[in-house]
Amino acid sequence: MSDTKPRKLKINILRYDPHIKGDEPHIDTFEIEEAPGMTLFIVLNDIREHHDASLKFDFVCRAGICGSCGMLINGKPGLACSTLTSRLPDEINLAPLPFFELIGDLSIYNGKWMRGMNERLETWIHHKEKELRDIDRIEEPMDPDLAEEIYELDRCIECGCCIAGCGTIQMNENFVGAVGLNKIARYRLDPRDERTDADYYELIGDENGVFGCMTLLGCEDVCPKKLPLQSKIAYMRRQMVKTGLNNNIRKCNCLQHEEKMPEH
Amino acid sequence: MNIIYTDVLVVGGGLAGLRVATGVQERGHHTIVLTLVPPKRSHSAAAQGGMQASLGNCAMGWGDNEDIHFEDTVKGSDWGADQQVVRMFVNTAPKAIRQLTHYGVPWNRVRKGKHESIINAEKVVIEEKEEAHGLITARDFGGTKKWRTCYTSDGTGHSMLYAMDNKAHEDRVEIHERMEALSLIHHHGRCYGVVARNLMSGEIVAYIAKATTIATGGYGRIYEVSTNAIICQGTGQAIALESGIATLGNMEAVQFHPTAIVPVGILTTEGCRGDGGLLRDVDGYRFMPDYEPEKKELASRDVVSRRMIEHIRKGKGVPSRYGDHLWLDITILGRKHIEKNLREVKDICENFLGIDPAVDWIPVRPTQHYSMGGIRTKHTGESQTLKGLYACGEAACWDMHGFNRLGGNSVSETVVSGMLVAEYISDFCDSPQSHIGISTGAIEVFVEAEKEKIHRLLNNEGGEDAYVLRRAMEKIMMEKVGIFRNGKDLQDAVEQLEQLHIRSKNIGVFRSKSYAANPALVVAYRTQKMIKVALTVAYGALLRTESRGAHAREDYPMRDDINWLKRTITSWPDPEQTLPTVTYEPIDIMDMELPPGWRGYGKKNIIENPDSAIQQAKIDAIRNELLKKGADRFAIQKALMPYEHLLPERYRGRNERLYERFDEQKDDQ
Amino acid sequence: MSKLHHSRVPAYLDFLQSMSGLILALFIVGHILFEASILLGPDAMEKMTLFFEGYYFFGARYPIIITLLAAFIFALFILHAALAIRKIPSTYLQYKTFKTHKDRFRHEDTSLWMVQVVTGFAMFFLGSVHLYFMMVNPSKIGPYLSAQRVVEGWMWPLYLLLLFCVVLHAFVGLYRLALKWGWFEGKNYRTSRKIMKRLMRAGIAAYIVIGLASLGTYISIGLHLDETPAVKVDK
Repeated sequence: MSDTKPRKLKINILRYDPHIKGDEPHIDTFEIEEAPGMTLFIVLNDIREHHDASLKFDFVCRAGICGSCGMLINGKPGLACSTLTSRLPDEINLAPLPFFELIGDLSIYNGKWMRGMNERLETWIHHKEKELRDIDRIEEPMDPDLAEEIYELDRCIECGCCIAGCGTIQMNENFVGAVGLNKIARYRLDPRDERTDADYYELIGDENGVFGCMTLLGCEDVCPKKLPLQSKIAYMRRQMVKTGLNNNIRKCNCLQHEEKMPEH
Repeated sequence: MNIIYTDVLVVGGGLAGLRVATGVQERGHHTIVLTLVPPKRSHSAAAQGGMQASLGNCAMGWGDNEDIHFEDTVKGSDWGADQQVVRMFVNTAPKAIRQLTHYGVPWNRVRKGKHESIINAEKVVIEEKEEAHGLITARDFGGTKKWRTCYTSDGTGHSMLYAMDNKAHEDRVEIHERMEALSLIHHHGRCYGVVARNLMSGEIVAYIAKATTIATGGYGRIYEVSTNAIICQGTGQAIALESGIATLGNMEAVQFHPTAIVPVGILTTEGCRGDGGLLRDVDGYRFMPDYEPEKKELASRDVVSRRMIEHIRKGKGVPSRYGDHLWLDITILGRKHIEKNLREVKDICENFLGIDPAVDWIPVRPTQHYSMGGIRTKHTGESQTLKGLYACGEAACWDMHGFNRLGGNSVSETVVSGMLVAEYISDFCDSPQSHIGISTGAIEVFVEAEKEKIHRLLNNEGGEDAYVLRRAMEKIMMEKVGIFRNGKDLQDAVEQLEQLHIRSKNIGVFRSKSYAANPALVVAYRTQKMIKVALTVAYGALLRTESRGAHAREDYPMRDDINWLKRTITSWPDPEQTLPTVTYEPIDIMDMELPPGWRGYGKKNIIENPDSAIQQAKIDAIRNELLKKGADRFAIQKALMPYEHLLPERYRGRNERLYERFDEQKDDQ
Repeated sequence: MSKLHHSRVPAYLDFLQSMSGLILALFIVGHILFEASILLGPDAMEKMTLFFEGYYFFGARYPIIITLLAAFIFALFILHAALAIRKIPSTYLQYKTFKTHKDRFRHEDTSLWMVQVVTGFAMFFLGSVHLYFMMVNPSKIGPYLSAQRVVEGWMWPLYLLLLFCVVLHAFVGLYRLALKWGWFEGKNYRTSRKIMKRLMRAGIAAYIVIGLASLGTYISIGLHLDETPAVKVDK
């Protein structure tokens, strides 16, 4: 709240609309006067309202919890809504998160990728009984610390920043990424999920899974939720190597396929 | 023309929508969910504080049951709620939470033994029971007699939404992302689906279904500042309204949350106060006990919000460049508690205010938060007037919140209503009445109408700027249809909004002409819809000359049970009319299990209806007689207001609690 | 439909890559130190050589031990290279994608991996030459023979490059190994990572200094060989 003149911010935005024939990726520059407490959410909406109504970007919660507004902010993946301009230099470069399907400008279709990942890793609780047997009864107890630990990993918002910060996926587009590995770590922790390590090995025991990770730690360093990605990927790697070397991968539960699968 | 057929169409992929979708899918009906954004990005994720369900596991919730939850909810609603619906809700909530546990929500659990807690600014030691160890715990929330709000840290909505979306994946529910419903397709008083626009490619698609469900959440964004996500624009209510047949209920009932941060309006959870946080004024003085000696910071939201504004008006606000605010003090909870249980709050404070809530007070102000009003439905979730159209969650008014919703009852409502409505929809789909009887020709009329609208918007040279109209509407709502309302301002608001509505017919998109992904086009057609919704809110508020729940008229400060114990029903039968049509639906005291009285907090300012006393006497007599006969609480309840027959059969069972164990006979293990 | 089971091979490959790397890195950590015995004088180096040739155990010199050791390291080296090559960009497009990512991101650990790729690639050649030479000429190690090779055999440019490559690759590799497998995570793995990164930097600096000093000493000895008694050279 000082009396000094507000900064003039130079916002360079990488623009491209695949729906417009002949459009080429190019940079548009906008000048915005900085205001106190200004976030990139405010900046981008201001540009759309007053400068260029065709500018495409995604915000939903604008409070850093829904994961819609991941973009490259001066080269680093981050959530635009919770990025204060006061923490950035005078010139701000914005680009869409790479790797995901582009809708236009800063808007990406990462929901599609996330859905594919979730389906592939079957990121739901695998029970023998799909539905609760008696919905009226007292719930199963769970250790309070364990419940908190699970929530710790459940906090992922699928924003895609870890994917954009991942060097591995640049060269192997089938890699499940930190988001996927973290999810498996989350389910492995959860006693309600009846899958075994052998089951998880089926999902992430290859180069597209945990063994593909090259530990570049871009994910760890950009995660807006500060999830313990490095630690959990290392953990899953140890478990999966153990499973792989222990020669017991044939003992998978494969709950889903129980009836269909012949004995091995 | 692209027509997609399905059994059940769900518009909206938040908690309510997903719960309906998985419910009907499990009953064997094919389901498609249309969402503006990936389901996990829905506003449900923003519900931080918790979900009310009377499990009674924790020490401070001991003895809780459906009756107390019912009473709290009805009082919270200021007797606007449909009491049978509330009964249905409170009986299903424990089942819903247990089912969500099965789906993977890692609820915080009871830890046996003693632990410290802050109650009324004092450290208190609470001892948890051994047998409750590991069961779902709960925290305190406003307007509740017991600690009933179950939670996962302060990411309750997030973990619920993720569990539900994962469940939808498991059930192979078809989800069509970035599809926006533009209008309802209906024929001879029967809804057959929607015309939708693909927000990426611009393609217009007709979705035809036996049953169509709107679960699009609230309409908070008609206000300039709202805690709602920016997609909560009331378009679900708008398309129902624009059908000319479906009706909206209690649209003027808009809740303001006491503690949104200034200036951006992001919510800090009620859990802050539930866990022991205090409100302070410019002098650092804790003022709430002066106004609400009993519930203090934890009166219902409408009451706390009004008390805060009252206090600011006395000159006790903290001046800032964004107007006056008050302080929320959670420093007394300690860093450990904040970093564990209120982490989102901490993140928000750090990211948007640059402060540390373990050391600094948080600048807060009451801000638009929840829409009690919505698509008026029966207890089954079906529109009262348009067959085949269903609604649930915040988008609907079935009506369990009346004129004020209790914190923790909203996420709870989303899943409970989703569970129940899914059953009713499935029953409907199983019946021969559900057959789709609309020709492609009739469908085409609806599709062409939407294409024509978009074409007109994109080619209207020299038309109105949607942004200008939108900002004007937001400002009017903010200034004239806010926490405290009065006849003069409301009259102005209605007149000005009416003008905006007329002007909005002439909106032109003049800066961005693409038929595909085009934010300017989206702003244009949504603004037209939002202004209509805003009009229903303002007009309903103008006509309602009393104060009830969140609807507070300075010129009519009394709650008027004689003239206004009724629901506002709004419709828009003729597209050419410039104001909505308003009628009323009476609420009969003689049907109530809990007749109107004082809520136990807030001002005692009631024009009593003589029926209240008569009904109360009747209830007391029945109760006393049954008690003498040794009847249990279930029998008494049944005698007062039967509701079980309204519930789907599978959800009629009683709920087991530590102090209400099922006997061995039910134990069929 | 029967589900295909995943092979166990990826688990083995991942494990072997790390283990071979670990052994090689530890070997280098020792190797450079032993080599640095020259800094304590030619006699110290001579004793070190005798030690490795088994003189103190068997009473005679067996250069074959060096050959065997070199062969073992060479084999590990090849194994490690073969496993690591899976990760290295194999097409120009892959390389370019990664480089764009690295340059845009400016993230230290991502860049460190590029260091691994470049140094690893260089060592395919530098390391092979060195290892092959040691394997086939095990007896030509010693303060003066080595010095002669460094100077007159024109090995110093190779050793200079190899020194930088191997030190960077080994210490960056050790750092990455610890993170990859979650070793020494301690109470707060984020703090541990910071400490490990500091150790990595310190290790690199120390070993480059030691290595350069040793190499300098060999060069200095090599340049002044004429002034040394011939008997020592030809022994």
